[in-house]
Parts: sequence; structure tokens; C-alpha cells
Amino acid sequence: MTEKSHNEQLTEFEARVARGDKVEPGDWMPDEYRQNLIRMIGQHAHSEIVGQLPEGKWIPYAPGFRRKLTLVAKVQDEAGHGQLLYRAAETLGKSREEMIDELLAGKAKYSNVFNYPTPTWADVGVIGWLVDTAAVINQSMLAQGSYGPYARAMKRICYEESFHIKQGYDAIVALAKGTPAQRAMAQDAIHRWWYPTLMMSGPPDKASPHTEKAMRWRIKTKTNDQVRQEFVDLIVPQIRALGLDVPDRDCVYDEAAGHYRFTQPDWEELKRVINGDGPMNKERLDVRRRSHEEGRWVREALAAKAKRANAA
Amino acid sequence: MNIPSGLPSEPLLGMIVALGDDELVLGHRNSEWTGFAPILEEDIAFSNIAQDELGHSLAWFSLHEQLTGKTPDWMAFERNWRDFACCRLVAYPKGDFAYTVVRQFFFDAAEQVRMKSFAQSSFDPLRQLSVKILAEEAYHLMHSQGLVERLGDGTEESHRRMQAAAETAFPQSLGLFEDFPAEADLVKAGVVKPSRELQEEWLTEIMRVLTRATLVVPVRKKNGTFEPECSPDLGGRTGRHTDDLRQLVSDLQHVYQLAPGQPW
Amino acid sequence: MSDTQWETYEVFHQSRRGRPHEHVGSVHAPDPEMALQMARDQFARRLDCVSLWVVRSSDIAQTDYQDPNFFSQVFDKSYRDPKAFDAPARTEPAES
Repeated sequence: MTEKSHNEQLTEFEARVARGDKVEPGDWMPDEYRQNLIRMIGQHAHSEIVGQLPEGKWIPYAPGFRRKLTLVAKVQDEAGHGQLLYRAAETLGKSREEMIDELLAGKAKYSNVFNYPTPTWADVGVIGWLVDTAAVINQSMLAQGSYGPYARAMKRICYEESFHIKQGYDAIVALAKGTPAQRAMAQDAIHRWWYPTLMMSGPPDKASPHTEKAMRWRIKTKTNDQVRQEFVDLIVPQIRALGLDVPDRDCVYDEAAGHYRFTQPDWEELKRVINGDGPMNKERLDVRRRSHEEGRWVREALAAKAKRANAA
Repeated sequence: MNIPSGLPSEPLLGMIVALGDDELVLGHRNSEWTGFAPILEEDIAFSNIAQDELGHSLAWFSLHEQLTGKTPDWMAFERNWRDFACCRLVAYPKGDFAYTVVRQFFFDAAEQVRMKSFAQSSFDPLRQLSVKILAEEAYHLMHSQGLVERLGDGTEESHRRMQAAAETAFPQSLGLFEDFPAEADLVKAGVVKPSRELQEEWLTEIMRVLTRATLVVPVRKKNGTFEPECSPDLGGRTGRHTDDLRQLVSDLQHVYQLAPGQPW
Repeated sequence: MSDTQWETYEVFHQSRRGRPHEHVGSVHAPDPEMALQMARDQFARRLDCVSLWVVRSSDIAQTDYQDPNFFSQVFDKSYRDPKAFDAPARTEPAES
């Protein structure tokens, strides 16, 4: 068997991806593809475990048995998703230890939304409903992506996310139908989360230089702007149907285009938040670091015990 | 549903509430680990246990609702903390993971003994519910026991932490076997076995595991059975709680009390 | 000090008796017994499940995607494919 040249390998790789075949661990792949995926899946995993915190804060306070049980199950799923995603990234050659170290050292990025505070119970509902709807639109797209382990993880995650959306929506419906104070709480939360949620899908296409290659390699199959538009078209009528509103007077349906128009978020804010300077970045990482350090003795003791048992 | 006429209804209802409160308060404490466990897999495991305990609490309060008409949400989210009847053990702060694991193990082992004892209860619903709860508790016990054995005999640090946790949690756990109010009536009517007997069975169970885990608690062996050699941390069953419970219930009810009785 | 997230175990899940075990993911665990517990909590908390297998990831031998010859079927092998024969269908066992 003769060694194939880099170009031959690349041609084969791109042909496989273009056919819609999945790339599997152990396949030849361009280094840029591997690095991009490691970064992207790692960020996605970090987002899940940092994302446990804003909602997890409300577990002790959740009103009623059903809400409390549901919230524990939801935040548990986020740990589960982080677990699945770190594993998908590990198949590309980076260990979970390394990825977690990078996160805790402040060297890794994660979704902007989890760096905002959650001052009221309604934030739990809005995160489930709005943030997770935006997430699912993105993730259903990623489930069609070319890298097998990531796409497989996404399939399961999307299934569980649909539970997240429904429980969030259900919590907001209860508030919208409740006392004036409950209703105001829901409206306030939607106002606060609207723009951060729009930012979740990433910078606008014209400022997103890697999109072209990511699309060609089917790391993504839709652009950031497409995903964002899909979210707005889906969520705005849902919000208005509950008699609630989005904080954007220019958000109107454009018959001709078949889409809602909306005001672009402040992209400078997204940059700041992603680069570590959002309202809650420091606190989120501090909390993660603390629980990581407090758990170290447990990880070490169980490893030591197993090592002795193996040696015996 | 009515309580059969031969059974002491007030003590029986009191015990059901106490068992529901134990599960509610421990489930609340366990859920404080969601997002903070030592490793992702354990985060998932402990969140499952938290959901199960909260689910058991809901089951006890649903039985209580059938007998009294008070809803589970009323019991958990509207009742005054002084009327809770949980043992003190479950209300203490979660502490480090060693304390959490040891407390959970002591609780799971007690739950196992108590639920098995309900198989002979003269009150039918106790028999039925205990079978369901046992089905889930068996796994909790497997998990917490596995952690106790491994961490007790893991590293020097893990042993030290687990030993300290065992010393703290042991006298507290004896509170699981504090007599329910008017327990003698319940025993006489064949509803329950005396708590003292359950404690003896429990001690045999936990000593087997603690020995394997190289952990020591203050007991002496007399005529083949273990007896605690420390004073038990009692009071919970009669509403003499620590301030930890007040704080916990205040958190638990915080949002609900913004519009009590409203759908949330 | 460097961290440990333990070894990884591959998890195989059987949804019903009679069905095959399918690979559903992996868990990080200190030993096989804990791996089973963690697999239960991560992969069987919603799915129906009657059996789980775990195996250390490092114990799995696998073929190489980049070896094009391992599975190659260059010459005609239709002689061993039932579809290549015209015999009446009843010679085939009934589908179960």
C-alpha cells in the first residue's frame, strides 16, 4: 500500500463529507477540522457544565414538588450533556482532564448566556424556553454534522432538550396566567434574556470568517444568521400568544420576506462576555474551581483504591 | 381512604408525616450537590438519588393527602417549619462529600430496615408503599455503601475525612430511630415494629460495612448485638429542631410563599 | 497537581430481552462496578433497560478506518447471497 499524499487524503475526506458520510475517530482528517471540532465540542461541553449554575441556583427555592423535581432533572441533564460532549471531544485526542483544566484556567470559551445573572424564579422558565429553544435549533443542525461522535451525542441531547423547553414553557405559562406579580416576573425575565439569547447563535455572518469552511466540512450546516432568524421566527409568536412581549418595537413580521424583522443585539457586548468580561464570568468560574478542588480528594481516593485492587 | 377503626389514627398520620419530612429534607440536601459533585458521573448519580428521595416524600404526602385531604405541596411549601417531624440528621448542612456519603449510607441502611419491617404492618397502604420505596432504595444503598467502602479505605485523606464524617453522623443517625409520638400505640396495633428493634438491625448492617471500610463508630457488642456508646441526637420527631431546618424550610418555601396556593 | 477523571468504560445497553446490546456512550469510572452504576444513571435513567455491559475502553481492539483492504470485497461473492438465487421464496425460513 502506498502512502497517500496530503492532497489525496484531503480530496477523499472532502468527498466523504460531501456525500453525507460521517467522519469517525481514527479517520484521516485535516488538522484544522480536528482542532476546530475539539474547540467547538469543548466549548459546548463547558457551556453545559457552567450552564448548570444559573438554573441550579434555584433548585433549593423551586416552588412545589413538581417544579423542584423537574429542575433537578433538568440541571442533571446538563451534567449528562457535558459528560457526553467531553467524551465526543476525547475521541479527537484531547482528554477530559485537559479540557476541564483549560476551562478552570479561564483559557476556554463557553456560551455567552451563562454569564448573566438569574435574579428571579422566572429566569428558570425563560432559560428553558428561550435559551433552550435557541440551543435546540443550533443543536439539531449540529446533529446533521459530519463528525460521527458529535452528531450521535447531539441526537440524544436534542431529545432531552425538548423536555427542557417544555418544562420552561410550562413554568412561564403558569406565571403568565398567575397573579400580576407572577406575570410581571415572567415579562421582566423575557426582557432581560432576549438579547443575550439572540447572541447565542454567534456573531453575524459577515463577521464570522470561519463559516465558509465549517459549512464545507459540514461542521455546521447553517450559518449563525440563519439559526438566529429561525429562532426569532419560532419564538416571537409563542411569546406574543401568551400576551407577553419582546423588548424590540421593530420586531414585526415581514410578509414579503416571510420572516420577522428584529433589532441586532450589541455585538460588542457579545465579544466582551465571550472573552471573560460579562456580569457573571468571574463568579461562574470561581464556583466551578471551588467544587473541582473540593472534589479532588474523592477522585484521587477512588482512583487509588481501584489501583490497589487491580494490583492485588 | 380511611384509617381502619382499630388503628390509632393520629400517631399513624404523625409517622407518615415524619417519614415524608425525612425524605423531603434529605432530598433537598442531596439536590444541593447537583452541579457541584466531585465528578460529572457522580453529579448525575446524586441528582438521581435526590429525585428519588423527593419522589418518596411526595409518595408519603400523597398517602397523607388521601387520609386527610391536605395536598403534598401544602405539606412541603406552606407548613410551618416547627411542624416538621423529620429527624435532625437530615437537616444538617451538606458538609463535605464525606459527610454527605456517610449520612446517605446511614439513611439508606435505615430506610432498608424500616421499609422491610413494614411488610408485616397491619396498615395495608404502608405495606404497599414500602415495596415501591424498597425497589429504589436498594440501588441507593448499593451506591452509598460502595462509596463508603471505597472512600473509607482509599487514601489517607479520604480515610481521615470519612472517619470524621462517621463520628459526626453516627449519633445524629440514631435520631432516625427516635420513637415516633405515641409509638407504643402503633406497635400495639401492629402498624410498626419498635424503633429500638429497627435500630438494632440497622447497627448490624452498618457495622458490617464500616468494618470493611476501616471506619470506627462508638459502639459496644453485648450478647451478640451492637449498642451505641454515645448519646443520640434526638428531638426531631417532636419538633425540637436545629436552626438548620428553619433555614432550609425558609429556602424551600421562598418562591412558593410569594404567592402561596397559586399555581407555580 | 494534575487531575484524574478516572478511566473510561464503553457502555452497551439492552432495551429489552431478545434485543442486542448497543453501544450508547462511555462513562468515566474508577472500577467496573462503579462504571455499571454510573452507566445506569447516565444512560438508563430514561431509556428502558434490562441489561448493561461496560468494558474498559482500553480493552477494545478495533479495525483501522484507514485500512481500505480489511473489508474489501473485490471479486464477485454473490454466490453466497440468497438474493442471487431464483429458488421459490418458501425455501427461506419464515421471518420471526
